[in-house]
Amino acid sequence: MSNVGTININHPFLKSMPPEHLEHLLVNAQEIEFQAGEIFFRKGEPANRLYLIESGRIAIKAGTPDGENLQTLGSGEVVGWSWLFPPFSWHFSAHAMEPTKCVVLDGGHLLVTAEENPKFGYELMRRISQILIGRLQATRKKC
Amino acid sequence: MNTDSKRPDDVSQLASSITAHPFLKGLSSEQLEVLSDAAMLKDFAPGEIIFREGDIANRFYLIESGKVALETSEKEAEPKLIQIIGAGDVLGWSWLFPPYYWHFDARVVEPTKAVFFYGTRLREKCEEDHGLGYELMKRMAGIVINRLQATRKQLLELHRANS
Repeated sequence: MSNVGTININHPFLKSMPPEHLEHLLVNAQEIEFQAGEIFFRKGEPANRLYLIESGRIAIKAGTPDGENLQTLGSGEVVGWSWLFPPFSWHFSAHAMEPTKCVVLDGGHLLVTAEENPKFGYELMRRISQILIGRLQATRKKC
Repeated sequence: MNTDSKRPDDVSQLASSITAHPFLKGLSSEQLEVLSDAAMLKDFAPGEIIFREGDIANRFYLIESGKVALETSEKEAEPKLIQIIGAGDVLGWSWLFPPYYWHFDARVVEPTKAVFFYGTRLREKCEEDHGLGYELMKRMAGIVINRLQATRKQLLELHRANS
């Protein structure tokens, strides 16, 4: 199922992505609007989605939505990595702090495609690693 | 640092170090061979600085044994410990992406044996061979996720201690 043309592809994560990769990335993709307070995922639940934030703000929490705030992410940022590695369940919880619009990608499909198609896999993992390194460095500065 | 001076026993030692390191577990012997072309063995003594915050990042290390402290050196203050790493760990990923400079100091705490990789050459190899590139990037992502999760937990404990 090709979603190219129906999904907004202006997110920085998708910037200068070769068209053949974009096709894979957008399989099963959806654009979703979350209301303020709406849950993205809960700690311990199966993880299968990558969220590209188009607008709004998301809070990452250690436990329940009323728990401590670990990080706030907004427009242009990406949330949700736990589908990449075992145990494939969320390590944290996330909810919308205000109305938030996201492109939601199918993590399971991305992982399977990456394993089958190393060219795609390399590009995907390269982008993911880059974001994660940036986030780690930012988080360390807060300690 | 001259790879041309490698002796045959160094080469086989290097190959076995690379094969045994958990970071590279599951790679094919062909891929391991490509990696060893961009690698050499290094020994570090306690107190040695492996790299310094702000310097150009063009390499990384797989730690075989020993202990290395990652620290930030804030001006006129005691260095702040970020993390201690040791056997089986990976040191350094700032070579992967711009701006290619180290974000912290790496200081040797205990005698340390490591495999040194030329990052620039490895990046070229990843571009040439996407199978290898995928495997390396996937492993990097996995390690960074673990460190990120550990750092977030640390941050949380810090919040709790302060509140």
